[in-house]
Amino acid sequence: MEHLTSLPEIDLEGRKILIVDDDRVNLRILKGILKGAHYVISEAESGEAALEIYEKVRPQLVLLDVMMPGIDGLETCRRLRQTYASDCAPVIFITAKSESDDVVEGLAAGGVDYLPKPFKPKEVLARIRAHLQSQILIEHQKLLVEQLSNANASKNKFLGMAAHDLRNPLASIRGLAEFLSDGTVGPLTPDQLDLVKTIHGASQSMLDLVNELLDVATIEAGELRLQLELQDLGALLEKSVYLSNIEAAKKTTKIICTASGDSSFALVDGAKIRQVIDNLISNAAKFSPPGSTITVELHAGPGRRGFSVKDQGPGIPESEKDKLFKDFGRLSVKPTGGEKSTGLGLAICRKIIDAHGGMISAENLPGLGCEFRVTLPCPP
Amino acid sequence: MKFSGSILLVDDEAHIRKFIALVLRQIQEAKTIEASNGEEALALYAQHRPALVLLDVNMPKLGGLETLRALKTINPECVVVMLTSLATRQVIEEAAEFGATNYIRKDTPKDEILKALRETIEENFDSAESSPSPL
Repeated sequence: MEHLTSLPEIDLEGRKILIVDDDRVNLRILKGILKGAHYVISEAESGEAALEIYEKVRPQLVLLDVMMPGIDGLETCRRLRQTYASDCAPVIFITAKSESDDVVEGLAAGGVDYLPKPFKPKEVLARIRAHLQSQILIEHQKLLVEQLSNANASKNKFLGMAAHDLRNPLASIRGLAEFLSDGTVGPLTPDQLDLVKTIHGASQSMLDLVNELLDVATIEAGELRLQLELQDLGALLEKSVYLSNIEAAKKTTKIICTASGDSSFALVDGAKIRQVIDNLISNAAKFSPPGSTITVELHAGPGRRGFSVKDQGPGIPESEKDKLFKDFGRLSVKPTGGEKSTGLGLAICRKIIDAHGGMISAENLPGLGCEFRVTLPCPP
Repeated sequence: MKFSGSILLVDDEAHIRKFIALVLRQIQEAKTIEASNGEEALALYAQHRPALVLLDVNMPKLGGLETLRALKTINPECVVVMLTSLATRQVIEEAAEFGATNYIRKDTPKDEILKALRETIEENFDSAESSPSPL
């Protein structure tokens, strides 16, 4: 990966300035003022000539007279901005002191500043210097943003590759440990069984982590593709609740679903929404004390589709709320049964719901627990 | 009742073959035939004419999809289940187009793999019996 460029010393020597004025006297005065500063000066005596010379020279700053025969300064500036867009050099207008309308119009046409005539050499030099400096900083920032987004893309690519290559061996370790522990290949002593079950559990958590990393890498690389179909949200919720109850029973946690019987169709990616529901329920179970109840509710009616998951856990500390849906945003609240958490689950949920054009939020409930709420767009 | 036909298992990763072969032991009487790449798979297929082929998608040289096409050229009727790690929609669709019967993700827990294989066998073979496919 390339190194991020460090901030350069701001050296303005050799910076290119284009001066445009139909009045040769003004041109000469400005050149005189700038003489000692070691800029490279080009000049044009009309708007048309300025456009041509700009293309040839690609100056870093343009001093542009407003009043000129042919296309005037304002039009010249507009054309420059149109042609070169965000790459366009800053334009400083040259105006007579009394022409305050020119100043307003000039700034509206895309100019960054103006120099009133008659020129005050120190002011001219200071303003030019300031704009050249900020131009350099802007260029530098653009470069930095570009490098950062390249670095982020490389990170995602690497993450994806690493996670992808880790999956198969992990799946084998988990599968083989399962065969050892269920006696398929012969009996084990209780101690051996305990070790094998530990291997099974550890490889399962690693597999979960790797899968979540892969999800993040895929989503961030913009490769999250939704397979939208009309799905019954109530049925999705019930399926999730049914399967989660088996796992939750270990902690004597009960999950109840108030979606029973209701049907509410929404245009969603069923597998991805199931992933969100599963994640919210498993989070609720993780952070709830044993013996508590988790309530899953369907919100359906004219013009609304969504669901919520309520737990009886400690809730979300107010100061950590902004971390909740961010990558690796683990909070200070700990799972109550020693469960593992990657801190990626809710970030993935948010990305999936965002991709659907929906909303996900979390609120602490009065008293105890919190509620995660998902709102989805209604089918047309 | 166990499946009496022979099964060819193709994957370049030995640990995956070991794992899947253990799964197959629960549904199959005969010993699984194993190949570690596409070329070997084609040679073993011609030699043994297995009833069912489990075929990895990502393999060096002759990949799973190419091997699938070659198998279907040798015997258009052969039943092939693809083994995938990351099942992208595109790969699954391509495999289906080339005539794969089903696909199984290798990171699925063993009981689910078992279930998927049992269903494939029930759907494609009469009463869990099978003879080598006709030419």
